[in-house]
Amino acid sequence: MRDSILTARLGIPAVALVTEAFWSQGDFVANSTGMPDIPRVKLPHPIAGSGEDNMSKVAKGVAPKIIQFLANENGIN
Amino acid sequence: MFDAKSENDALENLHQMGCTDGLPVVVPTPERVSRMVLATGLDPDLNLGIMGPMHGVATVEKVAVAAVMAGCTPDHAPIVVASVRAVCRPEFDLTEMQSTTHCTAPLVIVTGAARYSCGGVASGFGALGPGHRANASIGRALRLAMLNIGGARPGTSDMSLHGHPGKFTYCIAEDEENSPFPGLHTSFGYEADQSAVIITGAEAPHSTMFSGDADDPASIDYLLNVISMVMANPGSNNVHLRDGSFSIILNPDHAEIIKRAGLSREDTQSELTKRATISVGTLRKVGSKFSVQDDQDDHELVQVLKDPSKIILFQAGGSGLYTMVMPSWCAGPHKNAVVHAEIELDQACEIPAMTLQ
Repeated sequence: MRDSILTARLGIPAVALVTEAFWSQGDFVANSTGMPDIPRVKLPHPIAGSGEDNMSKVAKGVAPKIIQFLANENGIN
Repeated sequence: MFDAKSENDALENLHQMGCTDGLPVVVPTPERVSRMVLATGLDPDLNLGIMGPMHGVATVEKVAVAAVMAGCTPDHAPIVVASVRAVCRPEFDLTEMQSTTHCTAPLVIVTGAARYSCGGVASGFGALGPGHRANASIGRALRLAMLNIGGARPGTSDMSLHGHPGKFTYCIAEDEENSPFPGLHTSFGYEADQSAVIITGAEAPHSTMFSGDADDPASIDYLLNVISMVMANPGSNNVHLRDGSFSIILNPDHAEIIKRAGLSREDTQSELTKRATISVGTLRKVGSKFSVQDDQDDHELVQVLKDPSKIILFQAGGSGLYTMVMPSWCAGPHKNAVVHAEIELDQACEIPAMTLQ
């Protein structure tokens, strides 16, 4: 979350990838840093160590949303 | 600020608002808070630092609220103020530390004359356990400040997977008078007659057993070996991320072995740094993904840390077989560096007939 906020503050489009278990922490960080609308995409939890096949499947599912945010469609900046 | 019909109602409100650590607190009435502020000798609006992850401004008044809630007496106030100042230093990485999934808590080490003049901070038997009001209240005040000013709430902003009993309170004094070493604060540039808090992000104490033998000159080797092996525990962040700090609390018997061997604090830190190694083969056995290169031989030994000064070495506790080793979180932009602040005793005011009622 913080990496994406710092990146966005530099004027570079950024999207935070946040797993379900950390979604509320993501909201907290976004609000506490004054960027409540920082784009974020929800991933299943856990994702780390879940295997290449699973991660590829998840990546395919969320890639369009990430691209949409990076293209600044429904994103911020 | 809220009104309540009774002390009990106020306490229940505080619990419901998530402002407590789960245990009953002293209700911070305006009068109690004002008295605590007065005890600091500082302006109530003075900013002691910013506490993440909520980026709350730790004014003296807000910190006094935490101190009252924690059960501090006015005597404790200078140590609480110094502790908050210390953890707000950027190199402590408080925001990241409060948010991590790791179990880490600030260990407050009280040094110098403040150990006596600020309510008697215990350094002997069971000093990290229950029964010592100053230790319990001071560490708890810092935690309540981190909770209510810093906004670290379990499961939403504090993501520690299991928490840590030291997140209720984690405070101990150095047993300087019986220690073979000069006061720990002198290692951080303070004069011997000053007082300071030294604060490290620390895991729970890892017990390290060794039974010395005054007739066996090899005792010092055995002792240094066992401590360094605990430091190189293959499950700890320090081994995988490396170059983080360690807190090592020597019991008097182990400190005596070091004294007999003629080792200074710096000598001991250097020896432990040299000996705290782990083999590449062991790291491969535990699947370390962070710190092993493909071309490294299984027999190669890697040092857990390079800088001996990152070992915070001091004496406390009762006489016996056990020394305590606390690994650190070892992450964050500054690796959750060890921080310190002077305990300013000349700022404190004496409050006539002051008791918390």
